[in-house]
Amino acid sequence: MSILQATNLNVSYRRSDGVMSPAVIDASFTLAEGESLGIVGESGSGKSTLARALMGYARPGGLITSGEVLLEGRDVRRMPAAEMKLVRGGKVAFVPQNPLSSLTPHLKVGSQVAEAVRIHRGCGAAEARAATLELFAATNLPGPAGLYDRFPHELSGGQRQRVVIAAALAGNPRLVILDEPTTALDKTTEIQVLELVRSLRKRLNTALVYVSHDLNVVSEMCDRVLVMLRGAVVEEGPTARVYRQPSSDYTRKLIASVPRIDREPEGVQAPSDAAPLLSVRDLGFRYPSRGGFFSRAKQTARPALEGISFDIAPGETLGLVGESGSGKSTAAAIVAGLLTAGTGTLRFAGDALAGSARERTQEQRRRIQIVFQDPLSSLNPRHRIESILARPLALFHGLTGAEARRQSLELFEQLQLDPQLLDAYPRQLSGGQQQRVAIARAFAAKPDLVICDEVTSALDVSVQAQVIALLKDLQQRNGAACLFISHDLGVIRQVAGRVVVLRDGTIRETGTTKAVFQKPADEYTRLLIDAASRGYVNLP
Amino acid sequence: MALRIDKFALRKPAAILGLSLVAIHLILALFSPWIAPYDPTALVGGRAEAPGAEFLLGTDVLGRDYLSRLLYGGRMALIVTFTGVVAAVTIGSLLGVAAAYFGGVLDDVLMRICDIKLALPGILFVSLFITGFGESLMVLITLIGMIYFPGVIRIVRAQAMTQVNLGYVKAAQLRGESAPSVIAREILPNTLDVVYVEFAIRMSHAVLLLSTMSYLGLGLSPPTPDWGLMVSEGVGQISFAPWLVLFPAVFISTLVIGLNFGAEALANALGMDAARGYVGGV
Amino acid sequence: MGKAILRRLALSLMVVWLVTVLVFISTEVLPGDALQVSLTADEAAQMSEADFTKRRAELGLDRPAPVRYFSWLANAARGDFGKTIIGREDVATVIGYPLRNSILLGLVTALVAIPIALAIGIAAAYWRGRWPDMMASSGAILGYSIPEFASGNFLVLCFAIWLPVFPAMITAFTRDAPSTLIAASFLPILTVVIGSIAHLVRLVRAGFIEALNSDYVERARLAGTSELQLVLRHALPASVIPALNSAALYVAGLLSGIIVVEKVFAYPGLGLVLIQAVEKREVAVVQAISLVAAVVVVSMNLLADAAVMALDPRARRR
Repeated sequence: MSILQATNLNVSYRRSDGVMSPAVIDASFTLAEGESLGIVGESGSGKSTLARALMGYARPGGLITSGEVLLEGRDVRRMPAAEMKLVRGGKVAFVPQNPLSSLTPHLKVGSQVAEAVRIHRGCGAAEARAATLELFAATNLPGPAGLYDRFPHELSGGQRQRVVIAAALAGNPRLVILDEPTTALDKTTEIQVLELVRSLRKRLNTALVYVSHDLNVVSEMCDRVLVMLRGAVVEEGPTARVYRQPSSDYTRKLIASVPRIDREPEGVQAPSDAAPLLSVRDLGFRYPSRGGFFSRAKQTARPALEGISFDIAPGETLGLVGESGSGKSTAAAIVAGLLTAGTGTLRFAGDALAGSARERTQEQRRRIQIVFQDPLSSLNPRHRIESILARPLALFHGLTGAEARRQSLELFEQLQLDPQLLDAYPRQLSGGQQQRVAIARAFAAKPDLVICDEVTSALDVSVQAQVIALLKDLQQRNGAACLFISHDLGVIRQVAGRVVVLRDGTIRETGTTKAVFQKPADEYTRLLIDAASRGYVNLP
Repeated sequence: MALRIDKFALRKPAAILGLSLVAIHLILALFSPWIAPYDPTALVGGRAEAPGAEFLLGTDVLGRDYLSRLLYGGRMALIVTFTGVVAAVTIGSLLGVAAAYFGGVLDDVLMRICDIKLALPGILFVSLFITGFGESLMVLITLIGMIYFPGVIRIVRAQAMTQVNLGYVKAAQLRGESAPSVIAREILPNTLDVVYVEFAIRMSHAVLLLSTMSYLGLGLSPPTPDWGLMVSEGVGQISFAPWLVLFPAVFISTLVIGLNFGAEALANALGMDAARGYVGGV
Repeated sequence: MGKAILRRLALSLMVVWLVTVLVFISTEVLPGDALQVSLTADEAAQMSEADFTKRRAELGLDRPAPVRYFSWLANAARGDFGKTIIGREDVATVIGYPLRNSILLGLVTALVAIPIALAIGIAAAYWRGRWPDMMASSGAILGYSIPEFASGNFLVLCFAIWLPVFPAMITAFTRDAPSTLIAASFLPILTVVIGSIAHLVRLVRAGFIEALNSDYVERARLAGTSELQLVLRHALPASVIPALNSAALYVAGLLSGIIVVEKVFAYPGLGLVLIQAVEKREVAVVQAISLVAAVVVVSMNLLADAAVMALDPRARRR
């Protein structure tokens, strides 16, 4: 008996000019009891919209325009409101992406779960509280009794997500829909939450609909997978089959774009013995307690960085791996000159490097460039692309007018950007194009060291592969070294010859990427490697 | 100029109404010397005559043509408020961006100044300074500038603070660009949207404040034709010559309504949230 | 939480102190004028040059400004605001009952306006884009675009002259009991209430829309929570916070509305006293009223901050 059957589902959003713009087009699939279905796609594919439509819900401005969704035989779209309230959170439960913003900030977490319990089990306050504590225990939350009275902002990301899952289980659902539930979490936390979801599913035999952009995770969690592109379903079938023998070109491209940690990279310079270009010794940094004259904040508990030392040889790419809070972005900011280290020294090309960019020489500023994570906010929305590139060309090389334009066009060509984009504004470009412009701006200075701070993390997987390839190419042409920061081990493997693994502000391991990834010496590194390669079982 | 104007927001009826009202008032104020049938200060008719063929909107208590006085009524008010608000918005924006960029003591001091202003309604502010410095036009314009620049600082500072830590600002700093250059080239243009809306909103507040002050006898003074003054002059006759109060009230209200609807429309067109916190005109 | 409140209190006191400096500077900076201003026309005409100098010394106007400031401040702190020029009355007595009456008017207005504005604002946000919202939003804009002296006189026209239901001017006296005063003040209360509601509706509506569109309301809705619970338990507390943060602005707006309405209806409050004082250049009175107003606004702001801390657990630790 199928628990869910969607037929020709169409969802559209109303634009500001009144036109309905389609987000989900003719989606159809069937889900059997206890089965798990993954919905994968990149940004704008409509996967989140489809997930919500399965409950007969559309975000404000959205409308399910046609089709039917049969939940155990009943059409969700034709249900009376009273029945819908019982079905939502009851037979079907929803786990959203961002646990911090998904829990009501002024209500205790326990009471939010108890609310769901009371609605779906029809019991009184005392029973609901007891049931909530049971749910907390079932989701491995520590100290359930004490946790009941806490507020969402007092919990960690992983704890919050467990609370949300507990609330979802309150109604004993037959089907749980999860929308990117671990995207906002650390790798280590993600592992725990996925483990929890898997065990709960086995115990309760619930069906799952799992939405994600992460092919590895879907591969790990789902029996079947559905691939979406711009609202349409391009492929559907058992996970192993779809991943290994995709019938659609797009799926093929998607699978191929996933950076693998077990694949030899191309075009990565072998580690050399040359004198280091950048030399970092004993770097330490502590974020100052914020607050002006009229406010006070606690001192941060631990230093953001402690005892960090590494070298980068000319032309080499050093990968800096870590999760959020590891200090990798802080290290990048210090090398770039945005933050001044509390302790330690920096040396660049044999000379001492001042902590703050303002105190460095113009030459040093030119030779060290940085590309940021978010492409849109790294380009001034009010400037045309041409003038964004013209600035470094003028400041560092004294080029103006036609000369500058010629240089810009050359960079554009190397980054495979359409020359017409020179006259456009940043918001008219796609994410991948914006990031390539940011890279062009960095290389316009003809640097010797480029710091890449999570430059592909905000991009779709298919775009990511292209940007990485172009970046490597440009790096080779310029002979520039690169400090590549990322949390994604697959990307690091494809880009960096040597790697440094950071956790909680200290270095855990360092060595050539190949060696470290194949035989990690440190336990934490091993954990990261395992997490990254879990889903490879289904990949070709 | 603003880049991203959502034209559909400007086609909504409220937007059209607002912008039309403002346009009409501007035209009337600019061209009143040519449109007005009589000299607004000349005694041309009987006292408090009802609207009729000779005097389309009647006459006031002294016998001056009301239509002409109404047409001239907005001129002085608009000049005073416009000058004052332009000064407030210019100074406030620069200070707001500086506060966001430099932080520290400058920021603290400016925020205290804003707090002081918040603690006193505009009417009291004006009362204080007029008692001490008199009622000249310069005083009024300066007062309007002083009353509204703290609010502008707050709003522009908030907007600038969302920009200050973004990649493009950091990129400029890393190029070695000087602080004034970063503020002027990078940050200021990205606060313009907010500045335009602030201007419209402050204009509506200033017009309300000035007409209220004139009504209370603390603002513009006779024989200047001013709507607020005209209402207070007409109040004595309200039972037998209600138009003396109604017409100027309508003129003020339509201008302020126009400015407020216009500000809403502008905010929507520029993609900003419905104006929150713009409460308390005076 | 206690520490946070203490910090706010210290901040508020500092703001009030800065206001005293501002008040002093705005009226007493030029010693010559202060003397001119404190004499009636007759007195001034009869004085000789020597008299002026002697008088200046008597009044202490030849002392440097900071000294004069602190002595003025010390007096003010004790409730001694000096004397009026004409009639040499104690300023404190002059403003006593009017102050009570204006506060009364403000309290009644707030008590009436706030619940109504909440209801309208929530309804407008809940049915956003449909006709209840269109009417409420347009009504609100109209309400705060029409100045109180216009709407007040218009109400007089409608309900005191054309339909003689209410008196055009207040028939109660300054020292009457509060209940008498309020009973005689239907129209002025109505006028201020309309302006108040208009301002508040916008704030409440905006805050509520943001709450209704939030992720947490979405999650709760998809968990089966009833619409009523969503509105009252999840959205309402969060939506009230932006309005509370604008409390100072609201109170300042309320004060100015009250001042105008008192003139329109001759309500015996502080506004009338203020207007007369400005006309007659009674500096001490204007100073006293400004200080009182600042204290009221700042205290209300402090209360609002405390309310925000009560509503939003995130604001408690800072």
